[in-house]
Amino acid sequence: MRKDGRVSTTSGSTDARRRGPLDPRLLRRGRDTLRYLVAGVAVGSATAVLTIVQAWALSSALGDIFETHALGVLTWAVPMLVGVFAGKAILAWLNQWLAQRASAAVKSRLRRDVLAARLVDPVRPEPSTASLVTLLTQGLDALDGYYSKYLPQLLLAVTVPLIIGVAILTSDLTSAIIVAVTLPLIPLFMALVGWTTEARTRKRWRVQTRLAGHFADLVAGLPTLQVFGRARAQAEGLRRSEAAHRRETMGTLRISFLSALVLELLASLSVAIVAVAIGFRVVFHEVDLTAAFFVLILAPEVYLPVRQVGVHYHDAADGMAAAESAFALIEGAEQPSDASADGAFDKLEQRPSATPSAVEPVVPTLATASSVELVETAVIDRPQPPTPLFQITGLTVHYPGAAAPVLNDVDLTARTGELTVITGTSGTGKTTLLYALMGFVSPASGRFLLDGRPADAPTRRARIAWVGQNPGMVNGTIADNIRLGAPDATDDAVRDSLRLAGGDSLDPARGVGDDGEGLSAGERRRVAVARALLRVSRRQADVLVLDEPTAGLDAATETALLDAVTGLGTTTIAVSHRPAVIARADHVLHLG
Amino acid sequence: MAAARAADGSGWRWLIQLVPGATARTALATLLAFGAAASSVALMAVSAWLLSRAAEHPPVLYLQVAAIGVRVFGISRGLFRYLERLVGHDVALRLQSALRLSTYSHLARTTLLGTRRGDLLTRVIADVEAVQDLVVRFVVPVVSASLVIVATSAVFAAFSPATALVLLGSALLGGVIVPGLAQRVSRRWDAAAAPARGKLAAGVHELARTAPDLVAYGAADEQLRRVLAADDELRRLDERGAWVRGVASGCQVLAAATAVIAALLIGGPLVADGTLPPVMLAVLVLTPLALHEVLSTLTQAAQSATRALASLARVRQLLDAVPVGVGDRDLPSTDVAPGPLVLDDLAIGWPGGPVLHEGLTLRVEPGESVAVVGPSGAGKTTLAATILGLIPPRSGRVEVTGRVGYLAQDAHIFATSISENVRIGNRDADAAGVRRALDRAGLPLDAARVVGEEGATLSGGEARRLALSRLFAGEYQAVVLDEPSEHLDAVTAEALLDDIFASMAGVPLLVITHDPDVVARCHRTVELAVGAVPYR
Repeated sequence: MRKDGRVSTTSGSTDARRRGPLDPRLLRRGRDTLRYLVAGVAVGSATAVLTIVQAWALSSALGDIFETHALGVLTWAVPMLVGVFAGKAILAWLNQWLAQRASAAVKSRLRRDVLAARLVDPVRPEPSTASLVTLLTQGLDALDGYYSKYLPQLLLAVTVPLIIGVAILTSDLTSAIIVAVTLPLIPLFMALVGWTTEARTRKRWRVQTRLAGHFADLVAGLPTLQVFGRARAQAEGLRRSEAAHRRETMGTLRISFLSALVLELLASLSVAIVAVAIGFRVVFHEVDLTAAFFVLILAPEVYLPVRQVGVHYHDAADGMAAAESAFALIEGAEQPSDASADGAFDKLEQRPSATPSAVEPVVPTLATASSVELVETAVIDRPQPPTPLFQITGLTVHYPGAAAPVLNDVDLTARTGELTVITGTSGTGKTTLLYALMGFVSPASGRFLLDGRPADAPTRRARIAWVGQNPGMVNGTIADNIRLGAPDATDDAVRDSLRLAGGDSLDPARGVGDDGEGLSAGERRRVAVARALLRVSRRQADVLVLDEPTAGLDAATETALLDAVTGLGTTTIAVSHRPAVIARADHVLHLG
Repeated sequence: MAAARAADGSGWRWLIQLVPGATARTALATLLAFGAAASSVALMAVSAWLLSRAAEHPPVLYLQVAAIGVRVFGISRGLFRYLERLVGHDVALRLQSALRLSTYSHLARTTLLGTRRGDLLTRVIADVEAVQDLVVRFVVPVVSASLVIVATSAVFAAFSPATALVLLGSALLGGVIVPGLAQRVSRRWDAAAAPARGKLAAGVHELARTAPDLVAYGAADEQLRRVLAADDELRRLDERGAWVRGVASGCQVLAAATAVIAALLIGGPLVADGTLPPVMLAVLVLTPLALHEVLSTLTQAAQSATRALASLARVRQLLDAVPVGVGDRDLPSTDVAPGPLVLDDLAIGWPGGPVLHEGLTLRVEPGESVAVVGPSGAGKTTLAATILGLIPPRSGRVEVTGRVGYLAQDAHIFATSISENVRIGNRDADAAGVRRALDRAGLPLDAARVVGEEGATLSGGEARRLALSRLFAGEYQAVVLDEPSEHLDAVTAEALLDDIFASMAGVPLLVITHDPDVVARCHRTVELAVGAVPYR
């Protein structure tokens, strides 16, 4: 329901903003690399100047020996050539170094921004993890072509032909005119071909990404496939989709290589025209041989930078497609948080998010509503009703693209020390309510009050210990997972939390693989509950938020866990359908 | 490079053999690449001759053939290059597909225990992708460039053996020795870069999968720092690679310089003493410029080769690993009457792991249901895997008649349509059959709807029902249910259990559960205690 909406919004907006070969966002993100770029262009231009000197020395030597059959010219031409080539060698080295510097900085920045965007919007189902991995590894590597080759060449395609064109002009007007007429045809064709292939390049990128996701999906689902004896059958489907992918890609390449063909043809045919024209004029004594050689050596050099732009255009297109995916993710995460209700609350009440120690300690036994009332009375000196710890009013969440809001004007009050249980059939938004509370999704409307004051998402999170329905496990040991967010907790504290969560039998030193590999679903949940309890016991949080905390647990473990949670006297908000949990609730909110 | 190829010869030859006709197509691409490079060299050589001959002021007619030659070479270079790229990419894509399929088929035959999935992802996606470079950026350019070097040197030898030798030497230096050395030097860093890349991918994977937990526990920044550290490492390694590439391109410029200056120093005196026709001097001096431009791509080729061969070696390693477990279940035909499910003195445990339980003996008659209870981690899922035949019994026997259906605790939901997900249970199910299965599982959703990664657009309950509907789509003579009521609310769970028990009344039913409601529905209960042997 939410995936369709979000994806179409994102891709629709990027497609609407079609960009030329120079995406202003790429230049903006690449501001750190500007000096490398300028230096690279300077190096390229200096190389062009050296090439002119080289052409002059070579043509003088060849012309002189041809005419006089004497070798005197070599005494100065050869040392000059040695110097010129040495200079070009140094510049070639410098050029590679600058090019790498330019692209590396941009890639690192985009990686950081995309990952940060993912963390701003942590429950977003798209892109899939596999797509994200593809994008941030070889996807962004495609930017190498853009920053280290395409962009410098694009600038050199302006400076180098100018420098060398002037050199040709000083030597032979006709050749200069031929160059001046043919050269602009190349960017013209480049633009034409670029416009027609852009859409297809995008499509190709999408097909490839989808394929990567398909492949990873199959690998992740192999146990399920094997159970139904369908893994081999999927290989057949994969074979077909691979064949389709090849057909699709080759179709695209036939057209996109066409642009390279046109460029190569124009460039080398132009050189041929210059050579033949000047050759015939040499016959008729209109040009001397030295000038002719000078032009012949320089003619390919005029077209070279422009040809290079064509060669690297597809590198650049791949890079830009990858960059656009990255921008879509970064901007997708930036927009909702700007427009969210949380943002408004930020301005109302700024509560530092990193002040867990400032949180009023919770009495671990029986912190009831009445004890809170006493404190309030003492401070404010007039009778007040018990202040709810957490209050959600008028919460409406509407996923983009969904027909109806998943939550519509929902109120929830969680009082200090009480267990509030949210029930309801599947799809009524129980988990979404918790996501909104955690700030993982942006509500269309609604107010979140903590201790009677508006609280933004980081403030709320700083008071909450959360256990999701499918808890995420980091690579490491069980203890590492329990210490998530509390890296300095002692071994004893970790062991106590694990025991409270019903995980006595689990060894904290046991390894946890990728995606919680090595732990059963029930064990994973117990580790996650222990993680939350550790946070509570360290006073880093005073509210437990649990999504189906006892799913996957047997009755004995369930009872032990509930005893532990209620025994702490911590304010708890839980989503559950288990009668044992509902029976213990102080307050039940039924959704749907 | 030749040395590198000899050393790694077996590194890619097996790959070429995966695709019939790949050798012929590669040869064709190489020939076309030779045509393009030779045109480029010939354009400069013939132009130089044309100008020199023109300076002797012959009748224009004498220049016509050369003039036509210049124009033809101007056109043919682009054409050959276009065709070469198409043929080369076609082979590369074929090889990539073949390798993906072998990788998948191999993984399908083994269990994925012990391999981290993020790492696996880079392996199969990035490593297999790198194979494209092997053909397009290594084999074709290297072989075609070698042919051009030999051909040009041979032509030169007819006029001046000395210049031919220098040209050959400089071409070897610029095209073989320098790229080869650069490859040797950067091989170390490329080898280090592959794990760094894997580390980055694994870090991204982990961060994406655990994002809500990281944010909730304020651990996001720390994790982000860890991923970016991998990125930093990768960047440092890339920087060294760029340094080596820079030195190599500098050396290639010097190699070209050697050829040009030597031709001038050797050819000049030959012209002066009349042993070389003057028209040939410019040809000997200027042709090396064009030839060395062709060679300048070879440093990149060597680098691509190193990277591609390293990737290929990792894929090979994956393919050579001995499969664990049986992989795909062989489901017998559905045309039999249900018989009893019998466990005879069964011992269970994962291959290579400890034995979890011994002496399990149980007989479940058709129409009978047996609940298997026991604390989490007692080996209930291992028992299911053994009954399904996914792993062999450590000793004893499992006897079943026909197919055993299984509802896993964490069944995978594929990123495709709901109906395709249902058809995992029975690929022949028609639209009505899919609809029926969905309805019986209590999932009133549009069968054409596409669900996200691991059912991310479904609620926990919906994903469970979708997994369940696969069982309703197929015909099974025995069924193992693993926590059937989990993730479902009480009312729906009850209705669902009614359906399950009604529709499976004729088959032996083994139910792994801890739900008292489910246990109450079963005829008998078997308890698996935590054995003396620790879990796995």
